[in-house]
Amino acid sequence: MKNRFKLKLSDILVTTVVALVFGVIYKLWGPLYYAIKPLGMHLEQLIYGMWFIAATVAFLLIRKPGVGLLAEIAAASGEFFMGSEWGLAVLLSGVAQGLAAELVFAAVGYRKYSVSVAVAAAAAATVGSLLLDSLQGYIGDLALWNLSLLIVFRLTGAVIIAGWMAHWLVSALEDTGVAELVRPVGTATVDPD
Amino acid sequence: MLYKKKYSSWLHRINPALKLVLLMGGIIAVLFIHNVNVMIPLVAALAGMLLIGSGQPIGRVLLFMLPFLFVFVSTGSSMILFGKGETLWWQWGPAVISRESFYRGVHIGLRALSFGLIGLLFALTTRPVLLFYSLMQQFRLPPRYAYGFMASLRLLPLILEEFKTLQKAYKVRGVDSVKGWKGWWQKLRLYAIPLLAQSIRRAQRIAVAMEARRFNKSIQRTYYYRPGFSSEDGLMVICWVGIFAGAWIVGVQWPLFEITDVRFNE
Repeated sequence: MKNRFKLKLSDILVTTVVALVFGVIYKLWGPLYYAIKPLGMHLEQLIYGMWFIAATVAFLLIRKPGVGLLAEIAAASGEFFMGSEWGLAVLLSGVAQGLAAELVFAAVGYRKYSVSVAVAAAAAATVGSLLLDSLQGYIGDLALWNLSLLIVFRLTGAVIIAGWMAHWLVSALEDTGVAELVRPVGTATVDPD
Repeated sequence: MLYKKKYSSWLHRINPALKLVLLMGGIIAVLFIHNVNVMIPLVAALAGMLLIGSGQPIGRVLLFMLPFLFVFVSTGSSMILFGKGETLWWQWGPAVISRESFYRGVHIGLRALSFGLIGLLFALTTRPVLLFYSLMQQFRLPPRYAYGFMASLRLLPLILEEFKTLQKAYKVRGVDSVKGWKGWWQKLRLYAIPLLAQSIRRAQRIAVAMEARRFNKSIQRTYYYRPGFSSEDGLMVICWVGIFAGAWIVGVQWPLFEITDVRFNE
């Protein structure tokens, strides 16, 4: 039982490779985010959810404890080494978001791989990122209407990108047959939903 | 990757794991600085350390610092415009600039700037491979994580090459790109899935080969690189603590602004 869930080198390698691909996207996402930001009214928060996607994709794909957190940290460090605008702080964000998503996966016993789990993990990652932002960016001191706008937009984007789209991406990968390669025995079957 | 072999300074010889801990500690310390008068000398000292200590030509460092100014402006702006505050300065529709929100915005911008500078200091002076070797030896990071990560870093250029091949293949086969949202969705399907599927297969094969060569073995390992400690590490600790302590003293003794805590208190 314990062995089935231990991360082997192959799990780690697959997780980090997938995460680094997302790390490249994370890096490209920075300038896009800052390009939208001057438009004001927190519209940029709608795309913030992309920074949570590594955790959900990795978990839905590999279905083992710890891969969500590992993927988010790996993606953040990939983003960092490529020269992120946020510097080393992206590692803090990666840990906060990955841990929050991982908590959701743990809460379902690492046994559910549905859209709803992905959406819940995306929402949890949003909460994680907001907690860090209240420390780092004092977002609690924004005017209430402005803060609500930020939270609603970020949550909506996260649910769509890191929840629904991540699940869609993994189902598409299942069709290519690679998912069976990387999953532990007994969880390799494709979920109907 | 920002690291370049041809530049070197004493910061390059600091133990990478120690450097990571010190710099992360610095970032966490910044999270607890609420006095804008302390942030100003801190950012100045960090910029100075980067320009003098990184060993890189100043022009190159300044070029890397350019995006940070952009981040500085855009990070602080929404707090300046929409933050809570009591002493009103300017109002236009929903945008309200108050004295408190202005200094808080500047503070957040300086924070983002300091994170960027600390990150650049690390990235410009640390070789990723040595960092993983150091984490394995100084912090007992299991080798399967370190080697797994290093191997996947090496796979990135292959993925880029595959991306170019795919681009050409679609061109030859006359796949028309659609404009707008539909086009974005089409691109995602055409590129993300084959690229991910291929890299997962490749990663799987490489992992099997690495396991066969006992890359996952933790006990009685020998290491090709053996990063240790020297007196320069001591100097680094002193410099790092000195920068923060110095900024604190300067900020408290000779404050530029009368606001000492940018948080909002009712």
